[in-house]
Amino acid sequence: MAHTTARLIDRGDLLGALDRAAARTVTIISAPAGSGKTSLLRAWADAQGERRRLAVLLVQRDQQDAQQFWLALLNAVRDASAATGRAAPPAATPEFNPPAMVDRVLAELADASPGITLVIDDLHELNSPQALALLTRLLTNLPPGAHAMLTTRHDLRLGLHQLRLAGELAEIRAADLRFTERETRLLLDVSGIALSESGAALLHQRTEGWAAGLRLAAISLAGHPDPERFVAEFSGSDRTVAEYLIAEMLERQPADVQDLLLRTSLLDRVSAELADLLTGRSDSERMLLALADANAFVLPLDPERTWFRYHHLFGDLLRLELRRTLPTEVPALHRRAAGWFIRQGRAVDAIRHTQAAGDWPDAARLLADHSFSLTLDGQAQTMQALERAFPPGEDHPELALVRAGGELVHGHLDEAAAHLSVAETYAATAPPDRQRRLQVAIASLRLSLARRRGHLAGVLEQVRFLDSPLTGQSDEDIALGSDLRAVALMNLGAVEAWTLALPDAERHLRQGAALAREIGRPYLEVGCLSELGFASKIEPFATTQLRCLEAVALAERHGWGAEPVISPALSTMAGTQVWLGEFDQAERWLQRTAQALQTDRGPIMRLVLHHTTAILRACRGRLPEALEEFSAAEQLRSQLEGPHALASQVTGWRLATLARLGRTGEARAALAALSAFDDERAGSGEILNAHAVICLADGDPAGALGAVQPVVDGTAPVIGYVTVMEAHLLAGHAHRELGDQRAANQAVERALTLGEADRLVLPFAMTFSRELLEGLPPHETAHGALLAGILDALQGSSRAPGDQRPSPDAEELSPGELRVLRYLPTNLSRPEIAGELSVSVNTVSTHVRSIYAKLQVTDRSSAVQRARELRLLAAGRAR
Amino acid sequence: MRGHLPAADHGVMDPEPALYTIRINGHLGVTLLSAFPAMAARPDGAHTVLTGPLDRSALYGVLAEIEALGLDLLEVRQLTGEG
Repeated sequence: MAHTTARLIDRGDLLGALDRAAARTVTIISAPAGSGKTSLLRAWADAQGERRRLAVLLVQRDQQDAQQFWLALLNAVRDASAATGRAAPPAATPEFNPPAMVDRVLAELADASPGITLVIDDLHELNSPQALALLTRLLTNLPPGAHAMLTTRHDLRLGLHQLRLAGELAEIRAADLRFTERETRLLLDVSGIALSESGAALLHQRTEGWAAGLRLAAISLAGHPDPERFVAEFSGSDRTVAEYLIAEMLERQPADVQDLLLRTSLLDRVSAELADLLTGRSDSERMLLALADANAFVLPLDPERTWFRYHHLFGDLLRLELRRTLPTEVPALHRRAAGWFIRQGRAVDAIRHTQAAGDWPDAARLLADHSFSLTLDGQAQTMQALERAFPPGEDHPELALVRAGGELVHGHLDEAAAHLSVAETYAATAPPDRQRRLQVAIASLRLSLARRRGHLAGVLEQVRFLDSPLTGQSDEDIALGSDLRAVALMNLGAVEAWTLALPDAERHLRQGAALAREIGRPYLEVGCLSELGFASKIEPFATTQLRCLEAVALAERHGWGAEPVISPALSTMAGTQVWLGEFDQAERWLQRTAQALQTDRGPIMRLVLHHTTAILRACRGRLPEALEEFSAAEQLRSQLEGPHALASQVTGWRLATLARLGRTGEARAALAALSAFDDERAGSGEILNAHAVICLADGDPAGALGAVQPVVDGTAPVIGYVTVMEAHLLAGHAHRELGDQRAANQAVERALTLGEADRLVLPFAMTFSRELLEGLPPHETAHGALLAGILDALQGSSRAPGDQRPSPDAEELSPGELRVLRYLPTNLSRPEIAGELSVSVNTVSTHVRSIYAKLQVTDRSSAVQRARELRLLAAGRAR
Repeated sequence: MRGHLPAADHGVMDPEPALYTIRINGHLGVTLLSAFPAMAARPDGAHTVLTGPLDRSALYGVLAEIEALGLDLLEVRQLTGEG
């Protein structure tokens, strides 16, 4: 806390009471303006010394921005725990993730030892219900050793009943803070004021022990020629204490100090430079320092005493007096202040003062110009608060741009598009000096919109527009232009990756990352690298993983490891792990991805999440869940515009899963519908493979072979070579069913050859090729080690240690299935079992597949083991 | 604070302004009075009584101003139409 003035008295009893209160987890000091809360807090803080570490936050006037409040709190905690050499200081993000933020603060508090005490002053200024709700969560979950002390002018809706019941909540109220007569006399003594006992008693009575009143009186009494008379007159007056005493105090000041106080009262914070500007003088520094020394109403905000604020009550009264005595000057003062803030690059303050001056059109233009960078700076809620401050009669068309940005941040894409149309209409008729800027801003918002919808054509349109050089621009324009350019590159690269224009994606994302680093926008740099990881699909997996890990590391350094921005990299890591057969690791990355997407409602990443989850479930043999996930992914497609990378994979695997669950009729119907509707996609390798799976499920291996032929001989378009691997394996299954073990082995060998470079496990898992692999004699393969490795991974997948959940719905096996099940522990082949049961081989195959699905296993021996666990093989059961 | 607030309106938000009187301890000088431009003020003994038409929003705005200025609120009353 900043330097405290020496004139505060030692209110020992009160400090003791506060100390006792502070032993509880949470202490609330709730008392009206001027009761002495802040002074008490400072005195208490000074007395703590080494015993406690304090994280101090003074809530800004009318703070409506939850993210800004929480960032400030996090920074205060980090300062208190002296977090050095750790992650970079937390920066704001466009998207605010409230639960993650609270978790971060809790984590910092938990790590700190000895415990930290949060000190939050002026909590009534927090006008954000969201922030207040989060605070409740924080306070009711404080780790052991952590405390909180809050001051406020009125009781808050904090929901701390639990704490109260547990005796962990202490309250200090106005009555506790009142000066006693004894303390009044002490204050007078310390201030060097000679007053009789009756005079002191009169003073105490008149002020009712109100701290602000007593301090104000002390200022006027110090050096007063006739203190007794002053008190008598004061007592005899009916005027309210504050007004009387502030008027007295002001009168006592030299004219130049009065002038300074009045003119600077319209600022939230005062510096010598600003004061000089508003008064037209050059000696404000001297006056401000003297005032700070003389009383507790001018408070320094930093140890060097360059910035000050006035006690709220004091400032409010000064402001009223200013409006009353110099009404015509007020707008001009606000404008001068606004100009200073613009030169300092502090848009929010500038806009506030411009609004206060009543210059609504100027304020609208300023807000529109800065809405983009405000969003990037994580001040979206502040921006919206500024927008709300425009009175209904002053609704400027440029505000549509601001509204569009706000809706976009929340993911309300349709609303954002509507506002953008309004903005565009206006921009067409705007004065020429505004037109270019407006159009650039509109283009960048359209770009974000197109990117969220995966609409490449839309993106390209906007980028071409943005690419044209910004000539003859001011510094501000160039800065704005760089921000826009970096975001444009990121969005463009992301959409290109999504629609598989991969070399372009990589180029643009790298440019974007470099530019972002140059202009100091770490969030955009992380965004570009994250998308780059996602775009690395055609690279060898090692490269992909490296890029993803780089992006994740950078994100974590800034504390964004759980933000939506890093989800592309997280999901890609999950995907690569699934492909490599590292199913447990994949599970963990998937969980991180799901967590990071909690606050993002965009369809693209959700689709990716469902898709990756689906293939993980399928590999573990949990087909019904896999089907749900594939279906969810496919449904999200309707929210996107244009084709996308995963389309044929999602559809192909969904149909294959349907078939494997025995629902071949549905699968065939869907396939037919697809062929009728989208011929091109129906001919893709992924769909042809699905057709093969359907044939195999229907007991038609010849049909399966026919279906995969174009994939196997390379004529069908595929996403990548993995589709071809699958095709070979499906051919292998078909050959085996047809009794041609040699052809089957050759097919498997081809698949292994393709998979050697990346050591992929996924295609083998997705096609349930364990038995195929086991059927390949080691001496007939050039990939013995790979084969063994894949079998290991497949083994692990069906008995994954992290997968010990008891099957929630171990579906009843039908009598036919149970009959087949009994033969599984034997070494009879399927044709032999068919013979025993007097049914066709196809029937046996169908039953076996169904058994595997219901028992959630992928091979015969696991089925046997599971059946034994479930006691399905007990004698007398299988009739 | 020895005041009482108007009876709850059973959930119906009243959009029409109503006439309110607000009693504050002490006499308000010109400076403080300038904070309540929508209201007429008259001294009443050691108190000041502010009177004026306020809708709900404006009422809470006035109360917030009273709190911010550290004034001693004694009573808030809605006048129901009779002079």
